[in-house]
Amino acid sequence: MIKSILKLFSVVFISTSLTVISTVASAEITINWPSIWVGKDSKTTVIGELVNEFNAANAGSIKVVIEEQTDYDIYAQKLTAQISTGDLPDIFTVGADLLDILHRSGKAMDLAPHVASDSHWNNVYPEGTLESNMMGGQLTNLPYELFVTPVTYNKKLLKAAGYDEFPATYDEFFKMCEAVTATGKVCTSQMTAKNAWTSMLWFSQALASAGGPNVYERGLDDPAFVKAFEVMEKMYQYTTSDAIGADAGVSGGHFLNERTAVFMNGPWFIARYTSDGIPGLHENIGVAPAPMLTGGEGAPGGYVGGKQSSLAAGKQSDPAKEEAVVKFLKWLTTPENVARLSYSSGAMFIVKADLPSDMDRLFIEMNEQKGNAPYVAKTFMNGMGSLPIVSEFPQALSALALGEVTPEGAVEMLKDAE
Amino acid sequence: MQIKKDEVVWLLLFIAPAIILFFLFFIIPILFLFVTSFTNWDGISAEFVGLENYTKLFNKKSFVRAITNNLYWCLTAALITVPLALIIALLLAHRSRGWKVFRTVLFIPQVVSSAAIAMLWAAMFNAEYGLVNFLLDYIGFSDYKNHNWLGNVRTANAALIGFSLCYVGYFMVIMLAKTAGISEDYYDAANIDGASQFQKDLHITAPLIKSTFFLCIILAVIFNLRQFEYVYLMTAGGPANKTQVLVVYIWNELSVQRLGRGNAAGVIMIAIGAILLLSLRKLLKSETYN
Repeated sequence: MIKSILKLFSVVFISTSLTVISTVASAEITINWPSIWVGKDSKTTVIGELVNEFNAANAGSIKVVIEEQTDYDIYAQKLTAQISTGDLPDIFTVGADLLDILHRSGKAMDLAPHVASDSHWNNVYPEGTLESNMMGGQLTNLPYELFVTPVTYNKKLLKAAGYDEFPATYDEFFKMCEAVTATGKVCTSQMTAKNAWTSMLWFSQALASAGGPNVYERGLDDPAFVKAFEVMEKMYQYTTSDAIGADAGVSGGHFLNERTAVFMNGPWFIARYTSDGIPGLHENIGVAPAPMLTGGEGAPGGYVGGKQSSLAAGKQSDPAKEEAVVKFLKWLTTPENVARLSYSSGAMFIVKADLPSDMDRLFIEMNEQKGNAPYVAKTFMNGMGSLPIVSEFPQALSALALGEVTPEGAVEMLKDAE
Repeated sequence: MQIKKDEVVWLLLFIAPAIILFFLFFIIPILFLFVTSFTNWDGISAEFVGLENYTKLFNKKSFVRAITNNLYWCLTAALITVPLALIIALLLAHRSRGWKVFRTVLFIPQVVSSAAIAMLWAAMFNAEYGLVNFLLDYIGFSDYKNHNWLGNVRTANAALIGFSLCYVGYFMVIMLAKTAGISEDYYDAANIDGASQFQKDLHITAPLIKSTFFLCIILAVIFNLRQFEYVYLMTAGGPANKTQVLVVYIWNELSVQRLGRGNAAGVIMIAIGAILLLSLRKLLKSETYN
């Protein structure tokens, strides 16, 4: 009896051990990527294709799995918590506002040794780009998506209001808004929900126009902040009745449906003018630099933009997995793949890529205007370098728009948040 | 009952898992919360800052508003939601025709995702295409045609709290269940005395479900003290921080990496909760119905 039990035990032990060994030997490395480029995002299709192609080329050895993150703000909050707890995903995208804490956490993969050991990234990035992103000798992120935020306007609606050209100053702009309102349309799309993104971009434009591109270095005491809030106060007189509390979907939706005449967002929105806009919208859209404040320190044609998202990876204890992660990051940053992403979505990237000659008209116009711009100032979100201030901005903006505070009071709210 | 010495070991063994879990998931986190509330912990590093987090919190208008808004939510629940649930429970307790349909309809919000309900109500309150404005316009209140209920400082709180009344079904079901256990003898005796239905409700049913009514008030206060999802999804505390509540405030502090201050707000919230509950227990102390 005892012999039989021992025999049975031995057989089970040996077969289990063999199974475990064979599983380990043939284990496929799984890379989890909580991606925001899913759902309605303009990069969804090509990102999906790139992941599928990578998985097919590395079948049996590496598999990238996308975890869909459909809400940008919730994703940012989740990532913030993950940075704090050190529980970082294998691969992720990170905004400029979290780069510092990501580096300080010590939990992000240092890509500097991989840059040094292989010429790929030195070849695909413009000279000095990677060096300028290093902190303490480490490279914990790869700058990836760029953005600029010119004004996009509906030429048809402006023409109906008697305007063939987009105004160059805010005085003229608000006169134009009066004329647009008289036609029964609404002048601008605004929002205050979440990070008040599209309104924050308008504020950034007004701020750069009032105080110049380096206004953030002088801090909240600079009078340019009050002037920018004065512009926003007026801007909210020419927006939809649901602007207070509206999110980016509502704000963008009004422009896509020709309810509003003027909208501000990044180039990634270009594809949506065709996919989600009313028929013929794309042909009617014009691109222009934001208006200027008379007497401001900014320069005509000045743009606002910067780094939108960077690629990063969690630190790996398994060298094989680290290699797999690096391999995928290289795949995402090949000039061919970046060109595909840019072509399909209209988004701009830092990686050098030979873009097709038939790129979207709006993309080409934005690119040209960016090239001619005297400066590309940071957005308020990236320029302030303070999460509490940026987080309080929507509340200050809604208080201003509702007449609860003056422009000076709105600045005080931001100071108070810090 | 005397516990024998050899029974103590078994007693301890049986309650040990519960005590260990209670310590792990309740006592230790609260201690951690308390200790870190005196630091400037940002998730990466922490330094002792004494009472700075607490003084800064009480100097912030938005934090004080969050506390008052929470009390506003609790008061509404205790003075409107639960009494309304009691009235409905008393009406349904008559088992009139169709009472089960009403009970089910009123309970439906409880089984639907709160996120879905919040999004639905946000759409209904929308200034441009919302059903609320459409109906108001339809019945002649054209001034409200484009009123932004959730984006107006005067109506945002009322709109948020008003829609929360649809959760009356939860308390109604609890009290309705209690009425089912009341002996018919009381009603028979009342019938002999010629009591009306209203008199029976007022003098028999209501007193006999008093303890459950008080329990519902305590539950409602607890639920509303930790109010988060509706405020976060519908207004995120705006406009101008007018609808701010404690948990959303804490969430905002944590999301900007001010974990120390967020934890201080958490400690204050626990203290407010404890004070509220102890006060309610004292205030609502009553003989339970056996």
